[in-house]
Amino acid sequence: MSNLDNINPPVIINEPGTLHPINQTKDYLLKLLSEMGFTEVYGPEIETEEFNFDMLNIKKSHPARQMHDTFYAESKKNVLRTHTSPVQIRSMLKSKPPIAFTSAGKVYRKDDDATHLPMFHQVEGIYVDENITFANLKDLIHKILYELFGNDVEIRFRPSYFPFTEPSAEVDILSDSGKWLEILGCGIVNPIVLDNCSIDSNKYSGLAFGLGVERIAMLKYGVNDIREFYKSNLDFLTQFK
Amino acid sequence: MKLAYKDLIKFLGEKPSRELLSKRLFQLGHEHEIHGDIFDMELTPNRGDCLSLNGLARDLNVFFGRSEAVDIYEDIIDVLKIDFENLAPSDCPKISFLEIEIDKTIDDYKPYLENYLSAIGNKKTNLFTDISNYISYELGQPTHCFDRNAINNKLVFENKECNSTFKTLLGSDVVLKDHNCVFTQNSEIISLAGVMGGASTACSVKTRKVLIECAYFNPESIIGKSIKYNLISDAAHRFERGVDMESQEMVLRRFAKVVQDHAEIKSIKLKSFRSSNSPKISIPKNISKINKILGTNLKEIECLSCLRDLGFNISNDIEVPSHRHDIRTNNDLAEEVARVIGYNNIKNTPINLKKIIDDKSGCKVTQLESLLVNNGFSEVINFPFTSKNDKRSISIDNPLDSNRNYFRTSLMESLVNNLLYNERRQKDSIKLFEISDIYSKGSEINQQKKLGLIVSGRLGNNFNDFTKKLDKNYLNRILDNYLSEGIFKIIEISRNSLDTKKKDKIFYVEISLDDINALENQINKEKTINFISYKPVSEYPSSTRDFSFSIDDMSKVHKVINELEKVSENIIKNSYIFDFYKNEKTKIVKLGCRFIFQSNHKTLSDIEINAKVQEILNPLLIMDGVSIPGMDINKPFK
Repeated sequence: MSNLDNINPPVIINEPGTLHPINQTKDYLLKLLSEMGFTEVYGPEIETEEFNFDMLNIKKSHPARQMHDTFYAESKKNVLRTHTSPVQIRSMLKSKPPIAFTSAGKVYRKDDDATHLPMFHQVEGIYVDENITFANLKDLIHKILYELFGNDVEIRFRPSYFPFTEPSAEVDILSDSGKWLEILGCGIVNPIVLDNCSIDSNKYSGLAFGLGVERIAMLKYGVNDIREFYKSNLDFLTQFK
Repeated sequence: MKLAYKDLIKFLGEKPSRELLSKRLFQLGHEHEIHGDIFDMELTPNRGDCLSLNGLARDLNVFFGRSEAVDIYEDIIDVLKIDFENLAPSDCPKISFLEIEIDKTIDDYKPYLENYLSAIGNKKTNLFTDISNYISYELGQPTHCFDRNAINNKLVFENKECNSTFKTLLGSDVVLKDHNCVFTQNSEIISLAGVMGGASTACSVKTRKVLIECAYFNPESIIGKSIKYNLISDAAHRFERGVDMESQEMVLRRFAKVVQDHAEIKSIKLKSFRSSNSPKISIPKNISKINKILGTNLKEIECLSCLRDLGFNISNDIEVPSHRHDIRTNNDLAEEVARVIGYNNIKNTPINLKKIIDDKSGCKVTQLESLLVNNGFSEVINFPFTSKNDKRSISIDNPLDSNRNYFRTSLMESLVNNLLYNERRQKDSIKLFEISDIYSKGSEINQQKKLGLIVSGRLGNNFNDFTKKLDKNYLNRILDNYLSEGIFKIIEISRNSLDTKKKDKIFYVEISLDDINALENQINKEKTINFISYKPVSEYPSSTRDFSFSIDDMSKVHKVINELEKVSENIIKNSYIFDFYKNEKTKIVKLGCRFIFQSNHKTLSDIEINAKVQEILNPLLIMDGVSIPGMDINKPFK
């Protein structure tokens, strides 16, 4: 027997590919929320103004409805959804409380600069039941952020404004550099929205929150430029194994 | 909105430090950045009432009290006789005019006006315009100054269909279209109401007699105009968010006082026109409802004290002040109370939601993702906008790029672009996929989830696959085991119309997920996430070096392989053994190895690469029986 027979070739390792880091982050958030009791619901990216704005108490005069902020389609018959909240509206119309939904996916705004893209991803949650309070919302948001950033993370709630929640809040976490970073928006569902969905706002109340998936992915992976996610560069994508 | 710290604290009873002031502003929901003495405020769109020193001080009163920082003109003012007609009272239910004549033109300003201009970075223009801007900064109410000598005829406010060019006071020509609220004189537009005045009636440094217009415009009548006409307008920003309908006379008296601080007033006259009163909003007092919304147990006295300090009048009901357009319900009041006590001081209360077992491992999207990732495919996400269209394409009315004004109906164009992008970056084995919803129109909008996958180049970089190409057979081998016959069709995409010099064939598959009931064989892979620490992608070119080892001492073969597999250097992006051959006749093993060099900081020179190559190869080449034909270890590598 030749001594060549004892020579084995190099081991072949078939490198796996990767799921996109934004989808990985989105799925991670959805799994986290499902473990907290939220069920995922689905809806279209091309919406009507009624579901994207009117049902959410976003008045005709609201700046977000202007042509420079929202993409309109088919001679203003439709809009590209500006958030995933219309999915929750559609689901609330078909359900009775108590309900706990998450909706996730692509949303569109007419932005394109170093920090904003015309398309990005959101994960939103809504919980409607009797006696839901702002104190409940705070507890839930703390739990989500502890899961995401560890139990030592410092969290700050500050008042904000969204037409579909009242009271509304934006939530920041304290970064290692001592700077507060905005992480999510949330609030108590505006009773007008519940009434729009035929849910008795005298009996029920709700909490809602929304996270920007790119924002979370950037923080968790240390990506500084949001545009990297959408260049489809294999040198970038294959890192997220 | 920029404001100076020293100006704001003049409006407060106590004089907090910058740090304490900043903390309280955040507590109240007034986001900002601090640059030296300047607070750069980013106020939420519902709080137009806070777009001034006075407005913020009204909110900060709950912490620091107020100071009467604003003096107004207290004397009796004669009634102005003005020929004015309001043809659109629903757009402008309240308007006041103040006419002032001063004794001489003024160049030198009082320190408070001079300091305001320098602190905020505004250029000095003329006394009346500068006072107008200052008043807006102080009180939040815009005013517009007409040179009185340029107003010789009847002044009309109207919402009219326009199709004319209007020269603004800043000198730009704007073509007005559709309906706009305007002031006219002799049918000539002299001001785009609530946005910007015109050049023909603007004040100058020589103006001594001025007509100051101070109005409440309906926000919906003003909104979008400044953006439509590309006019940067502080006034429009404020009117769009709503000003106080009850403040006009007071504002004009303040204006007169600032004029009086600078010059002798020869004459002063005022006239107001009102077509409707501001609605008085009262909310029934219901403290238990506020506690129910917040999840707190606050006493009535605490809640009412918070609201009173914010300017609410408490009687049997809670009366909303006229500047607060955003307060209508108990939820609004609950937010007011929460802002004062501090969101962070509300104690958390857990909710009991039942955990859901949401196992997605069996769903077809997850299964397909696992199948493709296991076979080396990388997922991409693309924007859906395209120039390609057919009768099913949904058009975008206001695209960002006028050449991409359709929603894609196929994933192919995006994936081809992704492939070419990576080929230009010297990738020679490309396997990509995308799963996305696709929209098209029929009788209604159709939504379809599709999978697109594209391959081109080498089958792989290992010695078995290096010389083979990704092709139809490869795709068939992957998909056949999992998808029913006829569900997918592999197509070859011609390179003729593509901007590329590459020759490798491109193969593409697009599948509607609706056509797949389930994968025929299950793939077991639990999705877990590993938040790796990402390394920035280099923008510099890479360089490739291939070496062919000849090994005639069999005891060295695995040693060489092990050493090559261990190579890890900062500037080596990738390395692999792409050839392995045992020559039975010569009893020699041939090993082909490729190093790909790339720096994150610069373009690497040949000298730097060759030095690194020598550093890696020398320990291997000093072994007996190991050589690279044509390469002499004792000579510098070139």
